[in-house]
Amino acid sequence: MQTIERYISKSTSAAPLAVFRVAFGVMLLLSVIRFWSNGWIKTLYIDPKYFFPFYGFEFVKPLGAYTYALFGVCALAALFVALGLFYRAAIISLFVSFTYIELMDKSTYLNHYYFVSMVCLLLIFLPANGCFSVDAWRNKSLRATHIPRVCIDVLKVFVCIVYVYAGLAKVNSDWLLHAQPLRIWLPAHNDMPLIGPLLNYTWVAFFFSWGGCLYDLCIPFFLLKKTTRPYAYVAVIVFHVLTAALFPIGMFPYIMIVTALIFFPAEFHETIIRHLRKIFGSATSDASSVYRFSPIASKFTTGALAAFLVIQLALPLRYLLYPGEVFWTEEGYRFSWRVMLMEKAGFAEFTVKDEAGNRVVVNNKTFLTPLQEKMMATQPDMILHYAHVLEAYFAEQGFQSPRVYVDSYVALNGRLGKPMVDPATDLSKQTESFHHKSWVLPFNDDIKGF
Amino acid sequence: MSFLNRKHIGLAGFIGLMGIVWACGSSDSGTDPVADPLDRKPMLEHWADNIIIPSYTNFKVKLDAMTAASDAFRANPTTTTLSDFRTAWVNAYTEWQKVEMFEVGPGDKYTIRNFFNIYPADEAGIAEYIANPTANMAVPAAYPRQGFPALDYLINGLAEADEDILVYYTTDASAAQRLAYVKRITDRMNDLLASVLGEWKGDYRETFVTKTGLDISSSTGLMVNAYALYYERFIRSGKFGIPSGALTSTGGTKHPEKVEAYYKRDISRTLAETAHQAAVNFFNGVSVLTAQEGPSFKSYLDALDAKDGSTGTALSAIIDAQFSVADAKIKTLSVDFYEQVQANNQAMLDTYAELQKAVRMLKVDMTSAMSVTITYTDNDGD
Repeated sequence: MQTIERYISKSTSAAPLAVFRVAFGVMLLLSVIRFWSNGWIKTLYIDPKYFFPFYGFEFVKPLGAYTYALFGVCALAALFVALGLFYRAAIISLFVSFTYIELMDKSTYLNHYYFVSMVCLLLIFLPANGCFSVDAWRNKSLRATHIPRVCIDVLKVFVCIVYVYAGLAKVNSDWLLHAQPLRIWLPAHNDMPLIGPLLNYTWVAFFFSWGGCLYDLCIPFFLLKKTTRPYAYVAVIVFHVLTAALFPIGMFPYIMIVTALIFFPAEFHETIIRHLRKIFGSATSDASSVYRFSPIASKFTTGALAAFLVIQLALPLRYLLYPGEVFWTEEGYRFSWRVMLMEKAGFAEFTVKDEAGNRVVVNNKTFLTPLQEKMMATQPDMILHYAHVLEAYFAEQGFQSPRVYVDSYVALNGRLGKPMVDPATDLSKQTESFHHKSWVLPFNDDIKGF
Repeated sequence: MSFLNRKHIGLAGFIGLMGIVWACGSSDSGTDPVADPLDRKPMLEHWADNIIIPSYTNFKVKLDAMTAASDAFRANPTTTTLSDFRTAWVNAYTEWQKVEMFEVGPGDKYTIRNFFNIYPADEAGIAEYIANPTANMAVPAAYPRQGFPALDYLINGLAEADEDILVYYTTDASAAQRLAYVKRITDRMNDLLASVLGEWKGDYRETFVTKTGLDISSSTGLMVNAYALYYERFIRSGKFGIPSGALTSTGGTKHPEKVEAYYKRDISRTLAETAHQAAVNFFNGVSVLTAQEGPSFKSYLDALDAKDGSTGTALSAIIDAQFSVADAKIKTLSVDFYEQVQANNQAMLDTYAELQKAVRMLKVDMTSAMSVTITYTDNDGD
């Protein structure tokens, strides 16, 4: 108990957190600008007629034309976080707006959006505006050259959790023994300059698979150790630039490259800040001052941070509570740092019928965007949600208590496709829950490992 | 040099290896025999030069012949010129089945299918357009008022007996306008085909063969998506699913009047067979010029070693086998699908079911094995 108290009272330089706050805010601002300029707000959140909400968050919906305002708030909040201006309000707004965006449609779920949300959540609890911020420049009493050590450590531990779980998720027979899905994905880029021709070789897929797995499992520890850190950081850059070149993962590689800076020592960040101050012509803060949580805040904050980490440790393991293969059922798949693990493609053709002999085979394109259709066709919870959309639609079209069936066919990691949903199940009678979906047909194959 | 401990060396080695992988690409290592069939450029060249452009060229010959027969008919509507027109129409319609799937590049730009083969024909709409020579032919409502289905109605469907049909083009009050509308239709078909073929023979061919990626704007990506969509929506649904009621039925009724070439009746199977065979040939890369197989979906899938893990059977062989089963089912049907739906719809439904199996393989197994993307948006692995 005493060691914990002693640890909590330890303080460290505020510079790493300040640099992290600036870099993270800038990256998010760039992400929103990129998203906006690609026209994705319209194509992903305004054009679609239907959306796939997360279970329990059905009230989170796109706001029509105001969705632009939502992204505007998000961008502005990111800018304010970077500047350290009205920090607490800015970071709360950033967390809420970004998370809201992420929850609007499951089809756009990305692990890195979740990562960003979780980091925002953490930053709400951290005094990231005590140093190199507009807030501290305006208000001397906020200035802090030192902050509780736990504020830096919690970020490090979280990044470690992310990498290690991402690495563990790769410890499976498809990834390590069959080099799937990289074996499918890499030859698709064989027309790239320089490395293109190599990507046709199976050994390259194996090399990347094993390399990727070892990278994820080891990199946080090499980053933690002073002696290996510079090499590890070079590896971080090489690895993430390579993934950026090969896969459509947007800003994620760059966010991770920036995030890994948190592992560098205080002097490194203080140097960065000194250089930045020169650019902005602002004076170096003179006196050293230590930010301390008040006794109550200390208990509350450290408690909250600890709870956060415990939840983060537990959440990726929840798949163990479900029967069947997690890649197939996707029960417990999301929010678990399972990244780039599956080449999954599906075909889901719905038939709606009623007692009066009405029958229609649904053309998904009239209801869903290509992205939504692709995602829906491989994910049982989305199939179920869509079945209820169809039930409501055809009830309105005059079908009497419509029944909804699906002819599904899903291929996973180079296996031939097979039905994923029992074609005899009337999906209109099924409801969403955290329970196992009994109408998902068994995978009848074995992917060993995590 | 105390910092050079073993961990360092291991890590430096790891980084170095990645560097070597990076660097190796620059040296010419493409001589491996496995690598060649995975080069998509020869496949795109083969598609463009030996399949797509020759198919459009062949179709142009038949469309020209149909236009000539149509002109002869318009100059002098008799039972002989009507009969010649019909024959030329059947030939052109059949040849069309070999190009309808190429809705990529110019075909997609001009959405040529919309103006050539949207059926059933809109009889009332056609009457309206005959009366109004300046009506807009480009709007969606105009799709079923032109192309082969409209001609089908105009030369086969106006009446039972030929003499009665001829009345519409000779003594009828709007005979001249009707003849003018036939010309409007054939002119439009010729113009559209000229645009599409012209672009293929012009700059687009080069664009097509240089977009060698597999993303959504790449030629292979576009082709895979267009091909699978065509097989699903225009062979399976259009020719079988809709008329048989497999796709829609209201109170249990089917839709025999929605068969292709509804007024001519006895060529619906020929059209379907031709379309299916063209799709099979394209899958196997059969050259329209030499009838020899070249680089194709099949050779590409084989080079990827796409197969059924449990039996070792190649995916391409599984797909070809399913094509054969579907083709055999089509061949058991009546030449007249209208009659088939009425007499024994189960045979139509059985054919539909076999086509459906092929659709799944094309849309899921083939697309997944080839790693074709369908959107520009970020994705971190499904």
